[in-house]
Amino acid sequence: MAGTKKSGNNNQLLMTLLKGRTFIVLIILFIFFSITANNFLTAGALLSIAKHVALYGILAVGMTYVIITGGIDLSVGSVAGLAGMIAGGFIEQGLTLKMFGVTVYFSVPLLVLITVLLGGLMGMLNGLIITKFNVAPFIATLGTMYIWRGLANIRSNGATFSQLAGHEGLGNTGFNFFGSNLGGTSIPVGVVIMAIIAVLAGIVLKKTPFGWHVLSIGGNEKASKLSGIKVDRVKIWVYAFSGFCAAVVGIIATSQLVAAHPATGESWEMNAIASSVLGGTSMAGGVGNIGGTIVGAFVIGVINDGMTMCGVTEFWQQIIRGLVIIVAVIIDQFQRNLQAKMALQARNENK
Amino acid sequence: MKGFKKVLAMLLAVAMVAAMVMGCSGGDDAKEEAPKDDAQTESTDNGGEEEAAPEEDTQAEALKGGGSNIIYIITPSVSNPAFKAEADTATAKAKELGYEVKAVSHDDDPTKQTEAFDNAIADKAAAIVCDNAGADATIEAVKKARDAQIPTFLIDREINEEGVAISQIVANNYQGAKAIAEEFVVAMGEKGKYVELLGKESDTNAGVRSSAFHEVIDQYPDMEMVAQQTANWEQTEAFDKMEAILQSNPDINGVICGNDTMMQGACAALDAAGLNLPVIGVDGSDEAAALIKDGKATGTALQQFAVIASMAVEQADKYLKEGSTGLDEKQLVDCIAITKDNVDKLSGFVFTE
Repeated sequence: MAGTKKSGNNNQLLMTLLKGRTFIVLIILFIFFSITANNFLTAGALLSIAKHVALYGILAVGMTYVIITGGIDLSVGSVAGLAGMIAGGFIEQGLTLKMFGVTVYFSVPLLVLITVLLGGLMGMLNGLIITKFNVAPFIATLGTMYIWRGLANIRSNGATFSQLAGHEGLGNTGFNFFGSNLGGTSIPVGVVIMAIIAVLAGIVLKKTPFGWHVLSIGGNEKASKLSGIKVDRVKIWVYAFSGFCAAVVGIIATSQLVAAHPATGESWEMNAIASSVLGGTSMAGGVGNIGGTIVGAFVIGVINDGMTMCGVTEFWQQIIRGLVIIVAVIIDQFQRNLQAKMALQARNENK
Repeated sequence: MKGFKKVLAMLLAVAMVAAMVMGCSGGDDAKEEAPKDDAQTESTDNGGEEEAAPEEDTQAEALKGGGSNIIYIITPSVSNPAFKAEADTATAKAKELGYEVKAVSHDDDPTKQTEAFDNAIADKAAAIVCDNAGADATIEAVKKARDAQIPTFLIDREINEEGVAISQIVANNYQGAKAIAEEFVVAMGEKGKYVELLGKESDTNAGVRSSAFHEVIDQYPDMEMVAQQTANWEQTEAFDKMEAILQSNPDINGVICGNDTMMQGACAALDAAGLNLPVIGVDGSDEAAALIKDGKATGTALQQFAVIASMAVEQADKYLKEGSTGLDEKQLVDCIAITKDNVDKLSGFVFTE
């Protein structure tokens, strides 16, 4: 009896460690890089990592929702690029209404609102294609990934919008706010935006019926449908949210560069997926949480910046990133098996 | 199995303890660095004022560097041999001059490039040598480095603003493309139909090279361009485009390409079709040299990547020591026209007389 109890305790300790594995990995990485890279553990370096993490961290929050429903959104990088081009185009060229012969210049808050709403619509279109036409999410979003990237290039014919400072006379100055630091402090605005989006998304997922519906659809779509959940509607909103997040990222990225480049966001979807998976989101759907995703995003960010500051070449960086992702998923599986075993054990003991 | 778990648990526990111990010592480091950081923020403020009148202050006040002895070398992906030559030469030169080097690649992604600049600033780099990822998208990153007292030396590609970087050393694409276009006209016998494969249209170099080609070729009324397509600097794309063009224009007499990678693709397509025509490129890669030796290509314009890269590092060194490079910001390095007469002297982007 005592023996069983002891092993139960051991299991529990192991469980706690496994649940916090991404966090432990993050801490180990921090220690490793603060030893190997001289200036890694300074406020400046850490803030710049947070700033970089903000970009794919926000993408990853939207991606986590999508993956929890059992889907995937490959179009986020392209949506970010197109959103940047839309916002940049509005500032530099305005919106010309040919029929009235006028060019309208929007103020920055308005054009940001329009851009993120368009981003939401782009995501919604993904959702519609997936639910109404029954196309696999991988295929649907692969298709839209190409479409949005093409449109981003068409918008400027492959050129870069670089006059993003705006004109006082046109009342559209202030776009660089999103790439700057929060008034007086050295906290980048992007990080604050990520924090807000992550907290809200985390609360919605855990505490509201919508969040429960998202989790239950991923767990068992058919059962959810039969119990009265409007599966299609929930999915469309989830993809819309992912598009919205991508558009926000597009705005932050272009604002940081003070230039809208049509190739912005190429292959960022992979970072977003990796962050979600590192954070414990199951590709099979039904499992995941936002906090884990953010920690996962930080793991990737710390690896990227840390290795750069160590002077590790690009090719090795790719290998290490790949290894970390695979090992994370292996541990994830290990934990899930253990969890199932413990549940069984608990049930047996109660008998 | 149980034993394995125990071992794993032990290991993780040890790791955590180590984390706490080292976390503390790391914290001390952070404290030590803190005052320096304040200094950096102050200088950032100064930098902000400087920005208002960059031109005057450029000469008056030299940037001191971030404080460390590290030179950051930021280039496009080194899977392209030209950029590898560039990064390797710069690294070797900087090491020779006694600097610590960190070479980073930005994969032509401006955001990734900004991250590399941020890392360099956080790392208190002495100087940055950069082959940039976009004429407009790079300006802000260079400005940020400037605000942090780090001088930037741009190589190979320019940016659309002067007075931000210390040097902009680029190959004279215009002169190089013209020189090799002349060889092309000779090889064609001043007449015939030809095809042009353009580089990525968003890249200024693509436009510069194309207009230089045409400035020479268009002087000859018997030279006729029958197709013009972009192949985005890429080999596979050039191969596909070339095969498609050959379907509609089987009677072409020559091909001009915006770079050597596209020239390789075009030559492969011509080879597959059993054709051997005059083909020119720009860059001067070893692959192009091999094609020229085999008689499959006419020539290429060597951009002296290695020379440019080591010039940049030398200027960085001089600037950090003396506060000025003593040279103009924009510097052009002439290209060398490579044909089968002088191709033997070319190896790894280095032309030895």
